[in-house]
Amino acid sequence: MRKLLVLMVILLTVLTFAKITVIVPWSGAELDKFLPVISAFQEKTGIEVEYKTYRAEDLANILPAQFAAKKAPGDVIFMWTSFLAKNTANAVELSDVVLPSNYLSGALDNVTFNGKIYGFAYTAKVKPGFWYRKSFFEKYGLTPPKTWDEFVLLLKYLKQIPGLKAPIASGDGVGWPLSDITEHFLITFGGPELQKDLIEGNISWKSYTVRKAMDKLTFLLKQGFFSEPIEWTTVLKQWWNGEYGLYFMGSWITGMVDDPDDLGVFSLPGNQGMVFGIDYAFVPKFSKNIDEAKKFVAFLASAEGQTVQVAQGGHIATVLGVPEMAYPTVDREVAKLLIGVQSLNDLDDSIGGLWQPAFWDQLKLLWVRPERLDDVLETLEEKMPK
Amino acid sequence: MVLRKARFKHLMMFILPAALLIAVFVLYPTIRTITLSFVGEDGKLTLSNYKEVLTSKDIVDLRGFERGFPFGALIHNLMWIAIHLPLTTFLGLFLAVILRNIKGGTIIKSIIFLGMVMPMIVGGIMVRFMFEENVGVVNMVLGVFGLTTQTWTAYPESALLALIFGSTWLWAGFSLILYSAGLETIPKSYYEAAQIDGASPVRMFFNITIPLLKPITVVVITMTLLWELKIFDIVYVATMGGPGGASNVLALQMYMYGFREWDFGKAAVVAVLITLSTLVAAVPMIKSAGDEAE
Amino acid sequence: MTKKRIWVKVFLNIFAWFIGLIWILPVIGILMTAIRPFDEVINGWWHFKEFTPTFSNFINALNHPTAPLIVGMKNSLIIALPATILPLFIATLAGYGISRYHFPLRKGLIIAVVLTLALPQQMIAVPIFQMMSSLGLVDTYMGLILLHTAWGIPWITFFMRNYFKTMPISIEEAARIDGASDFQIFYRVVLPNIFPAIASASALQFTWVWSDFFLALILIYSPDKLLITQRVPLMRGVYHVDWGLLSAASIMVMIVPILIYLLLQRYYVKGMVGWTIK
Repeated sequence: MRKLLVLMVILLTVLTFAKITVIVPWSGAELDKFLPVISAFQEKTGIEVEYKTYRAEDLANILPAQFAAKKAPGDVIFMWTSFLAKNTANAVELSDVVLPSNYLSGALDNVTFNGKIYGFAYTAKVKPGFWYRKSFFEKYGLTPPKTWDEFVLLLKYLKQIPGLKAPIASGDGVGWPLSDITEHFLITFGGPELQKDLIEGNISWKSYTVRKAMDKLTFLLKQGFFSEPIEWTTVLKQWWNGEYGLYFMGSWITGMVDDPDDLGVFSLPGNQGMVFGIDYAFVPKFSKNIDEAKKFVAFLASAEGQTVQVAQGGHIATVLGVPEMAYPTVDREVAKLLIGVQSLNDLDDSIGGLWQPAFWDQLKLLWVRPERLDDVLETLEEKMPK
Repeated sequence: MVLRKARFKHLMMFILPAALLIAVFVLYPTIRTITLSFVGEDGKLTLSNYKEVLTSKDIVDLRGFERGFPFGALIHNLMWIAIHLPLTTFLGLFLAVILRNIKGGTIIKSIIFLGMVMPMIVGGIMVRFMFEENVGVVNMVLGVFGLTTQTWTAYPESALLALIFGSTWLWAGFSLILYSAGLETIPKSYYEAAQIDGASPVRMFFNITIPLLKPITVVVITMTLLWELKIFDIVYVATMGGPGGASNVLALQMYMYGFREWDFGKAAVVAVLITLSTLVAAVPMIKSAGDEAE
Repeated sequence: MTKKRIWVKVFLNIFAWFIGLIWILPVIGILMTAIRPFDEVINGWWHFKEFTPTFSNFINALNHPTAPLIVGMKNSLIIALPATILPLFIATLAGYGISRYHFPLRKGLIIAVVLTLALPQQMIAVPIFQMMSSLGLVDTYMGLILLHTAWGIPWITFFMRNYFKTMPISIEEAARIDGASDFQIFYRVVLPNIFPAIASASALQFTWVWSDFFLALILIYSPDKLLITQRVPLMRGVYHVDWGLLSAASIMVMIVPILIYLLLQRYYVKGMVGWTIK
């Protein structure tokens, strides 16, 4: 009887205390693909994991006040590394559970400060380029372009197809889809170095290099090749239904369409670098369940955990040892595009702060008024953190 | 009316709780904001916050006159007033007069008043929604007439205007209700007498209705001005001041300075600016209250 | 009636109902979007080729992973009830005091009250935030309730004073002659007679507190504590904006003020008119 009571007490302790909260930026279909990872962890450890969705922009607003009050909204928080850099005092050091030797080289650079690791890299998404439906291209006898001129020609051809609203669908609603396209142009026509220089503030937004790359983009915008910004999941469906020809999106698109096998993708001709968008997370110091949180981190930072995630499609592992066969077919094709190009950090996530919403806001302006490029670049330079 | 002289216990019970709360949570913060606006980063008294804010392109952007929006938050607020104030005032008066003799006029009034009842945060979502390209009702109507459809809040030229017209939809109920109440107070006999003298309805409107509604008009204009100067929620949810700052307003800019950049000095300056303008707008209200208090 | 007049009347009736229709269209739009799957309304809710009403948007909004509305409703009630009762109680006393007693600084108080009516919330935001954080009241309901109470007192005081001014003082005088004390007069004679004013003021104050966004935005930060109005803008993930969900959420946020309006319509409009005009 006594044994049973002790057992009950232990069981109760486990049930009541071993529950952690993870804060993720995803919702909708994206979130559904993370849930199997949580289940796998729960099955393995018995630690219950609750999730909440918070966009990083909102967290940037919430967390400072929370930390000031010695509180945290969750035990594992997915957040920009630019934010973490300023908040290492509020984060738990994770050097004991996150091992650089398990990772692709450089994957942990953004969460390593003064030689200590304060966060971890989860899976990554790449933003490879313009997606098309293979069946759509077949119908009109189109092929992916090999040169810039061929690309423009393709857009011109698409433009005159009756019933097509615009050659390229522009996703919007929150801001980042436009910045992803813009970065792709900056990297292609300014070189991968430009992306790094912009992040570090080594080059002005008003410089010739930026201007030259942006001119390519505004040229297309002025021709009316892009649609106006439309909420990106809405326009995804419309593009899939054949109302637009191309759609620029990250690799997670493969998990959001009815038939991923019908997807094709190409980068801008001449592209030498690709944004490798790693999702990072950290454990706040004010978490009440640091031990359990660390166990969850260890799982997410392992080949075992990331294998579950990549199998859902649209993600690429950052740790070593995830078998190629774990990926869906279409993702293996995306991975091929990565060969021979540099992987880069996301521009606006890396700069972060108030500059990021300003960047998105300015791009929304540029999209509908490309002739105001100079204004936009001037504002971007003004708002850069000094 | 002869007022009784208050004894200490009366003051303690009737006046003190209210006076205390107002002093701590309203008056003190107001004074503190004024002082904050004059304190620089180094803690010394300075005008640098004012200089920085008033020359900032976020507040006034004169380039707007050459190349279009944005003009800066201050000018956007003024534009809001210039369009929204006459529009809602006249619309309210016009509808109040028309709906008086309509079958089911009260139902229509309630419908129009709905915009006043809903939280402004929902109002902002509604505004954003009606101007949306695919799902918005504005584009449905424009489409029927074969006009261009677009997401009106996405373009710098139309973002602010869309918000202003959307907020007219929300606010027209206010002047409508006030004018309707005002019309009830005008004795029917005035009209009957004028009718016997052979006055036309239009004449009666200008010679009887409008002059007698003047006190109401003062209230409508004052309250509408205050509302326009304080506008925040709608912009926050509908456009967040975008694109490219083309629909930014003072209250939103104050929030950005204060609670996103955590720059309290600049935020205080913007708050003072808004307050000064609301005080100017409220002069008639303050004056009449002061006179009455004698 | 002449023929011309009848035609004018018919025209005016049609015109008025047309205006009413225009005014309600956006509300119908949000309703339609809320009760139908998003795939059906992607090209406009006015297409009815398919029509499958469903409550799933409402259920999803209530149990939203980031910002469950049901918790928001509870939180908003926890704030709005005390933040209506407290200021109403305090301001009724003050309104009575101002309208019946003479005391030093009376005029100053009246003018302060009126000035406060014109004051934007932005003017107190920063010092309130600093004050609340030094008192440890940031991110607590106590802080927000206190603030709403203080913010509501001026207009309710003003409103009640206007009401008391129209009340005949003779009954109170009669009670006084019968030997009742000032407090007895207030509780026994005055309070029972001011129900309409209390109803009007509570309807408005409750609606305003429920609808408030700015004060909540600067004081409440914890995900679990967010009020209903704060949850609406959060109903979108980085990768997802769902109009169906947002519409359903909007309806649920506005349903409470609308119900109050419908139930207390008489008092509500009276309050609105009386508060501003008198």
